[in-house]
Amino acid sequence: MKIAIVVQRYGADINGGAELHARYVAERLARHAEVQVLTTCARDYITWKNELPVGEETVNGIKVLRFPVTAPRNPDDFGKRSVAIFEKTHSLAEELAWLESEGPTSKALIKHIGRIQAEVDFFVFFSARYYHAWHGVRAVADKAVLVPTAEREPSIGAAIFGPIFRGVRAIMYNSLEERAMIQAVSNNRQVPGVVVGIGSNIPERVQPWRAKRKFNLKRPYALYIGRIDANKGCAELFEYFLRYATMYPDGLDLVLAGSAVLPIPKHPRIKHLGFVSDEDKFDALGGADFLVMPSPYESLSMVALEAWALGRPVLVNGNCDVLRGQAMRSNAGLYYESFEEFAETMYALEASGPLNQVLGRNGRDFFKRHYAWPVIERKYLEMFERLKKEPSKTTIEPLPGWFARRKKNVPPAAGVVDAAPKGPVLR
Amino acid sequence: MAEFQIRADAVDVEQIMRQIRARIREKRGADYTEQEIKELASVKLEKFLDPRGIRSNLVEEFRRNRVPSPAPPALDVRIEALTVTGTHRSTLASIRSLLAPVMKLFINPNAIMHDINAAVQKLAATLNDKQTEINTGFHNRFRQREEMDSLYYEVIHNVVVELTRLSIENSNLKMRVESLSSRMDFDERRARALETVVQYKPAPRQPDRPQPERGQNDKPQGEKPQGERQHGDKPQNERAAQNERPQGERSNNERPQGERSQNERPQGDRSQGERAPQGERTPQQASAGADPQRAGLESRDQGERGERRRRRRRRRRPGQNAAGGGVPGTEANVPGQPGAQGSEPEGDYDGPDDDGPDDVPSTEGSTE
Repeated sequence: MKIAIVVQRYGADINGGAELHARYVAERLARHAEVQVLTTCARDYITWKNELPVGEETVNGIKVLRFPVTAPRNPDDFGKRSVAIFEKTHSLAEELAWLESEGPTSKALIKHIGRIQAEVDFFVFFSARYYHAWHGVRAVADKAVLVPTAEREPSIGAAIFGPIFRGVRAIMYNSLEERAMIQAVSNNRQVPGVVVGIGSNIPERVQPWRAKRKFNLKRPYALYIGRIDANKGCAELFEYFLRYATMYPDGLDLVLAGSAVLPIPKHPRIKHLGFVSDEDKFDALGGADFLVMPSPYESLSMVALEAWALGRPVLVNGNCDVLRGQAMRSNAGLYYESFEEFAETMYALEASGPLNQVLGRNGRDFFKRHYAWPVIERKYLEMFERLKKEPSKTTIEPLPGWFARRKKNVPPAAGVVDAAPKGPVLR
Repeated sequence: MAEFQIRADAVDVEQIMRQIRARIREKRGADYTEQEIKELASVKLEKFLDPRGIRSNLVEEFRRNRVPSPAPPALDVRIEALTVTGTHRSTLASIRSLLAPVMKLFINPNAIMHDINAAVQKLAATLNDKQTEINTGFHNRFRQREEMDSLYYEVIHNVVVELTRLSIENSNLKMRVESLSSRMDFDERRARALETVVQYKPAPRQPDRPQPERGQNDKPQGEKPQGERQHGDKPQNERAAQNERPQGERSNNERPQGERSQNERPQGDRSQGERAPQGERTPQQASAGADPQRAGLESRDQGERGERRRRRRRRRRPGQNAAGGGVPGTEANVPGQPGAQGSEPEGDYDGPDDDGPDDVPSTEGSTE
């Protein structure tokens, strides 16, 4: 079986959520099939500038083909178009222009996909909201398997994505909440889909003492891993933690691992480790009382899964349906929606408390049951086998005509997403 | 913070969150969301704040008064021909209009009008520039003021919200302080009552006491030299329960509680005094089994100490033992009896003795 993974960026040093997801899946599927990766030369997800060489490369034993981005993103133009699409009634033509503005616009990549479609059994497209996935799926719809990695954010309500969600052969969802949202906005229940998620390369042994000594972590701490950004809920996290630190002088410290986009408050109980290696990350996670995940928009948090794999509970933002749903289904984490809940849950999850061990154990079981690599691989392979046996029933809907595309009758995307059912899916 | 009740490994996160929310509700008295706090801040301030200090319709006032100031008007002055010949009297106006051609024979009013207009326009332009400059200055200052108003509005609004929150927290803290102080009062009263009860508890009569079990450090009967026994009829294991202390060495701490202040003696020492049989031992016998460190002193000062004790006892008034809380019906209440309980009333205590066993409870037997 020949599989092509199509993703916006790819590389051993690229740690974005969907990109890492794609790399892990490619490396795991390579044990069962012939896998190649089709991607762009971009490294920066904001501008999509061509930074990596065009052509073939091998990354961790996987063949990677890179194609140039036609034009880098203009953030101002993209911002204006986003406002028009998300908040105003608009036309399909405007949505297509918005998609072009979002990027990464790589016409060579799309042409290559069309060229090799006869040689490949399935194309696995990552991140539905980007140019490469939309045009790629339209080019090879009968062989397209989509991994949407969709968060509950307005772009997913754009009308141009409905035919994509309805026209692919199968969808590999990250969570029950993601599936419920996509089915609500696109009415694609007939499309085969399975909630898969992603595993992680968990080390067999972690050495928390090493991280504690290296980073001088003397007090118990809650750990945040990821980009330190307001979009990831870090501003609210800082605000809450500073209040918590004032109220509970003997409480936990907050340790941050990741590159900072947002200024970090200077406080003796907030420690920033910077960007850390995987080894340091897992060691620090092993030594933490728990992981805190303040992001309100997540399709799946890999670090939360990693924390559970190491038997650490997780404290998540209750406004994120996916994280809250996972915490509830796994019984391995708590969530907060206000400062009071934040302070109480911080206290409840301390390692010396009665909940920490129990929730950690539940997390480890949950990870093994749903996110261990054999489980993930089996779900992908079973889906491919099923698609091979079943003839393609779906066809991609053609775009409307020139005049119809320019008719301003498409509702604001944010309103479409708001109308979709909210809340965690427990069953 | 209170602890969670985890009864089994099968925890339910939803249930835990319900417990957490219930505790938050309990803490702040009512389950206010941020939105509710904001609503309370703008509507029901008088519930939480002093209405004399802050107006409850502050936010509405700010909103109502926020009308942007209009742009400055431009000055426009123009003199028309009609302005020169016009009048409110119709007759005069008709005569003027009839005579207008005649007047035009002599002068050209249009040229005069034009020149006057030109001069007026020039003057108006100058004035207009000046006025516009002044108006613009004021206008800009008004705009700045309006922008500041919106900032003030934000600041005051936030202050009101924070005040509301603090007020709620303050009331909760007050309640907690009251609760804690009442608990403390109760504990103090309870402790005092317990002390009083024990303090005035009459000592049990010796013959009625049940025989206590032998303690871990009790000595078998055969190991004790017969000469050290105080009462031939007293069981050996009863002595063990009393730490086998010789009665002649009874210290100040062994005096009955009724004669002592609360601070003189810890409660735990009381039982030793109560159970001591009345002294039949000589001071020499008593000092022989005392604390080893003290024993040396005792042997050295034995004669001196005995003399001092005898002197003290001679000073006692007759009948004082019975009134002083000694155990009624025992030999100890007989005045002058050596080692009698309650035989040293507070008033006759002549300061701490330096002769060891009188001050320190003896542990004869248990130190072997």
